Amino acid sequence: MNDMSKDANPVIPDTIYIDGHEIPFTQGQTIMDAAFAAGIYIPHLCHRPGLTPHGSCKLCTVDIHNRIAASSATDRRTHTKFAVDADSRSVSACTTPAAAGQQISSNTPELNEVRKTITQMLFIEGNHLCPSCEKSGDCTLQAVAYHLGMLDGHFPQFFPRREVDASHPTVMLDRDRCILCELCVRASREMDGKNVFAIAGRGTSAHLIVNSPSGTLADSGLETGDMAVHICPVGAILIKEHGYEVPIGRRTFDLHQVGEIGLEKVVLAKARHIDE
Amino acid sequence: MSNAKNKLRIATTSLAGCFGCHMSFLDMDERLVELLEHVEFDRSPLTDIKHCNPCDIGLVEGGLCNADNVHVLREFRRNCKILIAVGACAINGGVPAMRNHFSLRSCLEESFLNGVGVENPQIPGDVELPLLLDKVRPIHEAVQIDYYLPGCPPSADEFLSVLGDLLAGREPALPKKLIHYD
Amino acid sequence: MEQGKDSASNKDELANLRRVAIDPVSRVEGHGKITLMLDAENHIHEARFHIVEFRGFEKFIQGRPYWEVPFFVQRLCGICPVSHQLAAAKAVDQLVGVEHLTPTAYKLRRLLHFGQVLQSHALHFFHLSSPDLLFGFGSDPAKRNIVGVLDKYPDLALKGVKLRKYGQQVIAAIAGKRIHGTATVPGGMNKPLTIAEREILLADISDILSWSQDAVALNEQIHTEHAEHRSFAAIRSNFLSVTGNGGELELYHGGLRARSESGAKIFDQLDYRGYQQIIREEVRPWSYMKFPYLIGLGKQQGWYRVGPLARVNNCDVISTPLAEAARQRFKEFGNGSLVQDTLAYHWARMIEALHCAESIHELLHDPDITGSDLVADLGEKRQEGIGVIEAPRGTLFHHYQINEEGLIEKANLIVSTTSNNQAMNESVRSVANEYLDGNEITEGLLNRLEVAVRAYDPCLSCATHALGKMPLQVELLDAEGALLDRLSKGGNGKFERTGQSAL
Repeated sequence: MNDMSKDANPVIPDTIYIDGHEIPFTQGQTIMDAAFAAGIYIPHLCHRPGLTPHGSCKLCTVDIHNRIAASSATDRRTHTKFAVDADSRSVSACTTPAAAGQQISSNTPELNEVRKTITQMLFIEGNHLCPSCEKSGDCTLQAVAYHLGMLDGHFPQFFPRREVDASHPTVMLDRDRCILCELCVRASREMDGKNVFAIAGRGTSAHLIVNSPSGTLADSGLETGDMAVHICPVGAILIKEHGYEVPIGRRTFDLHQVGEIGLEKVVLAKARHIDE
Repeated sequence: MSNAKNKLRIATTSLAGCFGCHMSFLDMDERLVELLEHVEFDRSPLTDIKHCNPCDIGLVEGGLCNADNVHVLREFRRNCKILIAVGACAINGGVPAMRNHFSLRSCLEESFLNGVGVENPQIPGDVELPLLLDKVRPIHEAVQIDYYLPGCPPSADEFLSVLGDLLAGREPALPKKLIHYD
Repeated sequence: MEQGKDSASNKDELANLRRVAIDPVSRVEGHGKITLMLDAENHIHEARFHIVEFRGFEKFIQGRPYWEVPFFVQRLCGICPVSHQLAAAKAVDQLVGVEHLTPTAYKLRRLLHFGQVLQSHALHFFHLSSPDLLFGFGSDPAKRNIVGVLDKYPDLALKGVKLRKYGQQVIAAIAGKRIHGTATVPGGMNKPLTIAEREILLADISDILSWSQDAVALNEQIHTEHAEHRSFAAIRSNFLSVTGNGGELELYHGGLRARSESGAKIFDQLDYRGYQQIIREEVRPWSYMKFPYLIGLGKQQGWYRVGPLARVNNCDVISTPLAEAARQRFKEFGNGSLVQDTLAYHWARMIEALHCAESIHELLHDPDITGSDLVADLGEKRQEGIGVIEAPRGTLFHHYQINEEGLIEKANLIVSTTSNNQAMNESVRSVANEYLDGNEITEGLLNRLEVAVRAYDPCLSCATHALGKMPLQVELLDAEGALLDRLSKGGNGKFERTGQSAL
C-alpha cells in the first residue's frame, strides 16, 4: 500500500507531502494549516482557522508514514482489516505540527471509511433529524456526511433526551444536535472574551452547559452578535425565528461543496442575520 | 418488448411512513412506463396484492411503530432477495421517532385524554388495534437491510439510479450528488 | 373478542354476533381495517372502520419552536404535505401578529395550494380509484391497479400522470422540492416565483385545462350512467366546508359553513378560530382516529362529511367558469337536493381539479405572482394560533399554543379524513347491508367495502398521524371466537379458504 520511503523523496526544509503532493509550510503550522493554505481539503468538524485546534472530532485523521512507531506483536493496529503500515501513525491533522519531510496519506479509502464511521457515530448519538431541522442545507455535519457518501447510520440510534434552551430572546440552544465540537466554547472564550459555554460530564453523558447563574442562556451575557452564536457547524445554536428563510436551492450546501477552501467565510456570512 | 419472465418483481410497503417515499417514486412521472417494461409489482399500496410473494426487490418505507410493522417487515425480508430501506423513517426512525423522547403513555394521553375538545376521553384499547412498540425503531434493527436510499423523501432520480443499477446487474452505487437526508 | 364495546348492545346480543374482518384496505393512503359484526340473520349490527396506527404527534411536537412546526408537521403526509404546511403557516402568521399577507405572498400561497390539490386529486383518481371505476368493482384484482390502467387505457393513464406531474411542478417551483419542501415563513413566503419559472408553468397550462375537463366529463359520465353507483354506499349526511364570503368555493381561506342533509344552512361564515365552540371529537376505544361532530347537533346527529362532495355541495358558486359550468350540471343532477351519493365524491373531486387548473392559469397571468414583496410587517406576538384550510380531503384544522420562549405547549389537529370517520363507517355498513349474502364472503364484497372507503380519498396517515399495511385475511368467527371460516387473499389475487390455521 505504501511505497513512499524516506529515500524516495529527499527531505526538503519546509515541505511535507500529502497524498504525494508537495506542500510548503511555515514553522508553527499544523498539517491542517498547511493543507488549507495549499487548497487541500481534509474533512473536519471541530476545526476553525483562528481558534485553538481541538483534535476531538477525529475526522481530520491522517496517516504519517515515516514516523517511528512502537511496533510490536501486541500492536493492535496490525489486527485491523486494512493493511497497516506499522511504521505509520494516525494523527489529527489539526493538532499535529507539520514537520519537514512528513509523508502523509489523507484521501485514502481506508481513512475515508473510518471518517464515515465516525460520522455515523455522531449521527446516531444525537437526534439529527435532517428532515425537520432548519440547519439542513447549511449544516457542516450533513455536508461532510454527503461528502463521505454516508447513506445510513449503521449503528442503533440512541434517541437521547436532550434539553432545549429557548430562554434567550434571540438565541436558541438545541442540544439534540450538539456534536461536542466545542467551537462555541472556544469562540466564546477566545474571540468574544466571554465564557458562555463549556462541556460537562464524561463519555456519553458529556453535554454542553451554559455558564450562568440559572444555567440557561437568558442570564449568560450572550449577545446576538457574538461569534459563539454563529460558529456552530450544526443546528445546535441558532438565531430564533429565522429558520427556513433561505429557500431550498440557495442554501450554503446547495451552492457549494464542503470541500471548497475558504468556505468558512461563506458559512459565517450566511449565518449572520441581516438584523445584526 | 421485454419478456415478462425477465421482469424484476418488486414489492413495496409503507410501514410507519407518511407515504412520501411512495409519492416520490411516482414522481418519476412518465418514466414509469419505461420502467414497467422491466419490472412488475407484487404487493404494494398501489396494487391489490396483499401478501408479499417471492420477489427480487423489496422497497420499504417507514420505521417500526407497532407489532404489525415488524410482521410485515419480516414477511418482506423472507420474500425479497434484496431489501432496500427507503427514506429517513426506515433508515433512522425519522419524524415519528420523535415520540421516543416521551413515554408512549404520555403520547396516548395527550391525544385521547388531554386533547383539545376531546369527548369521551379514554385510551383506545380494542383487540383490533395492534400493540404499539415502546419506541419507534429503524428497520435495520429488526432485519438485515441490503441497501439504503436516504432522503425525506428520496428523489425519483434516486429510485431510478438504484433500480437501474440492479436491472443492469450492478452493485447499486448512488452518485454523491443524489445523496440528501432531507 | 372485543374489549370495551361502546354500543348499547348488552351481553346477550353480543353473544349472538359474528365478526368478519378485512385487513388492510388497499389503494388508500394509510392503514385501515374493516370489521363487521353480524347476527344470525346476517343483519349488520356493527360496521367499523378502524385506524390501527398511532403516532403521538400532539405530544412530541411540544417543546419544539413554532417556526419549525410547518416543516415537520408536513411529514404527517406525503400526499398532502403542503396542506399541513399551509395550515400551520396560517396559525404561525397569527403567532407573529400578521393578519394580512402581502398580495404576492398571498397569491403564491394560493398557487402552491392549487398545485397541490390538483396533484392530489389527480393521484387519487388516476392512480388509486380509477381501476375500480374503469374495470368494475369485482374485476380481476391482478389488473385492478395503475399498471392495469396504463396497459388498457394508456392515453388516459398518461394524462393522469401528467396532471399530477404538473401539480408537483407548481409545488417545486414555489417550495423548492415536490414533496416536503419549504415555502412559508411567518407572515409570508421565502422565495419569489421567477419569470422564467412562470413561463415554464404557463407552457403546459392549456393541456392541463383540457385534460382536467376530460377528467370531469369522464367522471360525470361514470356516475350518471351507472344506476348502481348512485345508490352505492348511500348515506345521508351534513356537510362542512370553508366558503368565501360570497358563498364561493374556497380552498385557501374563508369562513366555515355547514349544511344539513336537507341542504339548509346550519351556520355560515363562522370564524374558524372559534372551532372549539363548533366541533368536538369523540374517542371510541376501537380506533385511533377520533369522531368529530358538530356540538350544536349532538353526538348522534352531529357527524358530517368534508372534502370535495361537501365543498361542491356547500358552495353557491365556483369562481372559475369551466368548473362553475360543471358544478351547475352537478347541482342539476341533485335535482333540488344536495348530492348525497358517496361515489359522487369522484365527480366532485374532478370538478375541483378543473377549478385548480383554471385558478393556476389565472394566477400565472397575475402580475403580482412574480413580485418580490414577500413578507408582511410582523405585528404583536400572540401565544395562540389557529389555521384552517381546505386540504384536498377536506377541512383541516391546526391549532397551536406556545409559551413566551416560542416553544409549543399544546397542539391540536383535526385532519380532514378524521371528519369523515363516521361517514366512512356508515358507508361501509351500507355496502355490507346491500351485498353480504349469507355466510359467504366473496372477493367482490371485500373490494366493494374498500371501494366505499376509497371514495372518501382517505388520508389515514394524516388521520392518526400514522400509516401501515397488513396482510388481507377475512375470518368468520362465532361468538366464542372459534374460527368458522377463513379466506386469505394470496399474492396472485387468488383466494384460499383455510378453515383453521394460526395467525
